[in-house]
Amino acid sequence: MLAYSEVEGLSRKSGGFTLKVRRKARYVDEEICNACGDCLEKCPGRAKDTFDMGLRQRKAIYLYFSQGIPAVMTIDPEACIYLKKGKCGVCKKRCDKGAIDFEMKDEILSLDVGSVIIATGLDIFEPGDLTYYGYGKIKNVITGLQYERLINATGPTGGHLYRPSDQKLAKTVAYVQCVGSRDLNYCSYCSSVCCMCSIKDAMLAREHDPESVSYIFHTDLRNVGKGFQKYEKRAAEEYGVQYVRGRVAEIGEDDEGNPIVLYEDTRQRKVESLKVEMVVLATAATASRGSRELAKMLRVKADKYGFITTRNDQPADTNVKGIFACGFCKGPCDIPEAVSQSSAAAQRAASHVLRSVGAGASKA
Amino acid sequence: MSKRKKKGSGDSRASGDGPRIGVFVCNCGTNIAGFMDTEDVAGYSATLPNVVFVRENLYSCSEAGVNDIKQAIIDNKLDRVVVAACTPRTHEPTFRAACKDAGLNPYHFEFVNIREHCSWVHKEDRDLATLKARDLIRMGVARSAYLEPMEPIIGNVVERALVVGGGISGMTAALELAARGFEVVLIERQKHLGGLVKSLYEIYPWGEKAADYINGLASRVERNSKIRVLKACEVTDVRGYVGKYEVTVSSGDETVVAGIIVVATGARPLLPEGMFGHDSRRVITMLELEAMLLRSRSRRKKVVLMGCAGARIPGRFYCSRICCMTAIKNAIIMRKKWKADVTVLYRDLMCYGVQNETMLVDAKKAGVRFINYSLENPPVIEKDTVTVSSEILGRDLKVPVDLLVLSTPLVPQDTNVALSKILKVPVDEYGFFLEAHVKLRPLDFATDGIFVCGTARWPASIRECLEQAIGAASRASTYLARGEVEVEPIVSVIDEEECRGCGLCVALCPYGAIELIDTEKGKKARTIDVACKGCGTCGATCYRHAIRMKHYSDEQLGAQIRAAFVKDP
Amino acid sequence: MVPKVAVIGGGIAGIQAALDLAEMGIEVFLIEKKPSIGGVMAQLDKTFPTNDCSI
Repeated sequence: MLAYSEVEGLSRKSGGFTLKVRRKARYVDEEICNACGDCLEKCPGRAKDTFDMGLRQRKAIYLYFSQGIPAVMTIDPEACIYLKKGKCGVCKKRCDKGAIDFEMKDEILSLDVGSVIIATGLDIFEPGDLTYYGYGKIKNVITGLQYERLINATGPTGGHLYRPSDQKLAKTVAYVQCVGSRDLNYCSYCSSVCCMCSIKDAMLAREHDPESVSYIFHTDLRNVGKGFQKYEKRAAEEYGVQYVRGRVAEIGEDDEGNPIVLYEDTRQRKVESLKVEMVVLATAATASRGSRELAKMLRVKADKYGFITTRNDQPADTNVKGIFACGFCKGPCDIPEAVSQSSAAAQRAASHVLRSVGAGASKA
Repeated sequence: MSKRKKKGSGDSRASGDGPRIGVFVCNCGTNIAGFMDTEDVAGYSATLPNVVFVRENLYSCSEAGVNDIKQAIIDNKLDRVVVAACTPRTHEPTFRAACKDAGLNPYHFEFVNIREHCSWVHKEDRDLATLKARDLIRMGVARSAYLEPMEPIIGNVVERALVVGGGISGMTAALELAARGFEVVLIERQKHLGGLVKSLYEIYPWGEKAADYINGLASRVERNSKIRVLKACEVTDVRGYVGKYEVTVSSGDETVVAGIIVVATGARPLLPEGMFGHDSRRVITMLELEAMLLRSRSRRKKVVLMGCAGARIPGRFYCSRICCMTAIKNAIIMRKKWKADVTVLYRDLMCYGVQNETMLVDAKKAGVRFINYSLENPPVIEKDTVTVSSEILGRDLKVPVDLLVLSTPLVPQDTNVALSKILKVPVDEYGFFLEAHVKLRPLDFATDGIFVCGTARWPASIRECLEQAIGAASRASTYLARGEVEVEPIVSVIDEEECRGCGLCVALCPYGAIELIDTEKGKKARTIDVACKGCGTCGATCYRHAIRMKHYSDEQLGAQIRAAFVKDP
Repeated sequence: MVPKVAVIGGGIAGIQAALDLAEMGIEVFLIEKKPSIGGVMAQLDKTFPTNDCSI
């Protein structure tokens, strides 16, 4: 396992590939560190916690997330005062195991492999460009992934829906679907998972707080998976989730920081507005940042959105023999589809590398 | 065949001396010691019966910690090891291996979780967290005295796969398994390979003629020397377990022996039988439309496609996932081929993803009309018109029609329930096969060595069927490639003297791991070790108390429970 | 050819592919750019439709 590592190059070699991989310096010895956390206490460096979607700050030395594997600390060179100014080193003094090593350098590894599987996943569309939704300006307008961190017991609020503006418990929440998705100006495709995600989020709010009320503003509710239709119904009947068919036009804000949602209810054929305490934007999911560059490096075809293109009759195979793809990097999909595709990619890769071993006598 | 290796170290209680128990308390930096007094917990552990050695370690799981445990086992002649630390999920294998390295049977190890169960959940009360840790360790120590040595069970895997169903999913799975060098027996109920896709016109989103694709696939299957195809044939009985399933088929007395089984029985479209005036002429199903498109020319000029005909309604409350795309694909084809006016009536357009949404946009560009309707106000069908109550416009729309096409949902095969009983795998409330975990194990059943793919599991597009079929082949290959399965020896043991052969345990076992065998003393239940997961359902059920769970015996759990309620601990 | 496979991305998809390959006895390099594997799924609280914990 090579965590904190990036692929920088690929060359062909006798039917296989040689990957150039940059193993980034953690400045912490993976073999020694066991994530006890002693080093964290006095670290003066600060950075945005990207795992918690920037909802809180973390130290310059950090554990990416508490159950992460490998469970080792990493020093962020952008935030570490010692690495920037050559002074501090408090963490090194605090670590009695001697795991911290400021002299560590990036390592370049060269891996000979028979096959490559691309599984680079997704990133979240940044909704700041959609100025009419006020993201980044109205504090209580957040993204779905930020909401996941808020409602999570290990997240910045310990699982309570304290809204960002005043840390007040948000009791009425509006979910705005198709933010960036199905939008010809941004991602003209459907991100596939947001409808169910918002319904789930609304149910979780009710589980945490029996007085919570949720509104989901949607177009088509695309709940096509196993048990999804019943889930949609159960959310309405047992969790007080209200579905409103119609796109949200604009989000404003009152003096107390409450977002005001302006929308057209296409069922009632009326333009209405609704005051809520927090808005969750179900933002589009995109191919992960850097996937276009990776595709180029591997000479694999990608569509105009950066999703890896695979063969119709062999959906794990890319245009390059020996390179396969699975999961969200091929296009929006839910977890069970991603898992199925991953097994498929594994099978194709196994067939590929074993077929070439001893020409036909391919047994593991 | 399963075989159990000979016992390792003996049971020390038999030798007359009490067990020699070592307790290792992990303080894990702030993780555990930050929220409880681990020194107190360690001191307390030393006072417990049979405990001859206690150590408080900073990190028991670290290399130093593990070496310390090994050394302590040797130096103090420990025969039981209790580690009070975190979750067995991550480090139980680490500590078992440490025991083994030091010459102790790995099952003489007991894990007590004082992190998740104490320090993490009782962060606000240090004293109570400490007390709870004392309680849990006392219980663990009491149980450990009764632990018995065990060895893993090894079973061989027959390198042959049985694939049930010769449609697109089954054929793809068979070809992928054959490509890995494994023998495959493919069994198909009909006289021909091909399944539902054979009757379709074009495949979305890439537009290939379905028949071309499926015939190509079928001939590759038929030509493949690794694959044996049994047509007009059904599975009638299955015995055995992962590695060696013995399958009886309807085509004769033959028994197919296979290491694993892939279920790819597909689904069928619901027949509307009178629904919405279905007459197979003016009101037809989507499948009948595909047949019409195959016959090419038509004079129909006013086509209405109606979605959710019989789906997402009470009693069949699910979305069939693929019908919107099928309708849109055919709408575009009819615009081009027949120059017809095409209207799609829908409740929600389920065009998830990139290609489906792109196709929807293309359909709108091609002039296909879309009208939304609701479950409460379904379209009213008359001879020449369909009247739709449009929510968006707030009024009724009359659409002229000379061909009405019903998108009926995919429904499970009628044979699924019978097959599920034969294979001892579950189906859901509608009759689709139910996988081990809807999110993380979509292609596995809870029973080892049986897999599912394609529309037998849930409606899926052709692309998704292919992905699942190749994926199921991968899951199957993980067994076939290793050639053997190693199973935890935590299984049930049935006392044949006590057993009355009632068969209750056989019926209730979720893994098909108990069989009734004929003995001189009548029918007796016997555990198939390789298939048993040690869940305990049988043990709890047996009114004769004839079933014992290894590693969770009454003595072990009884001692643990008694230790929970001692006075003045 | 080397019977080894590189999996780029350590989210749920990459992990599943790596596990299947490893269980087949094929050596895998799992390459993840973030400090730990888990991907976006690790950031979720629960997953639909069972509301199981996501971790």
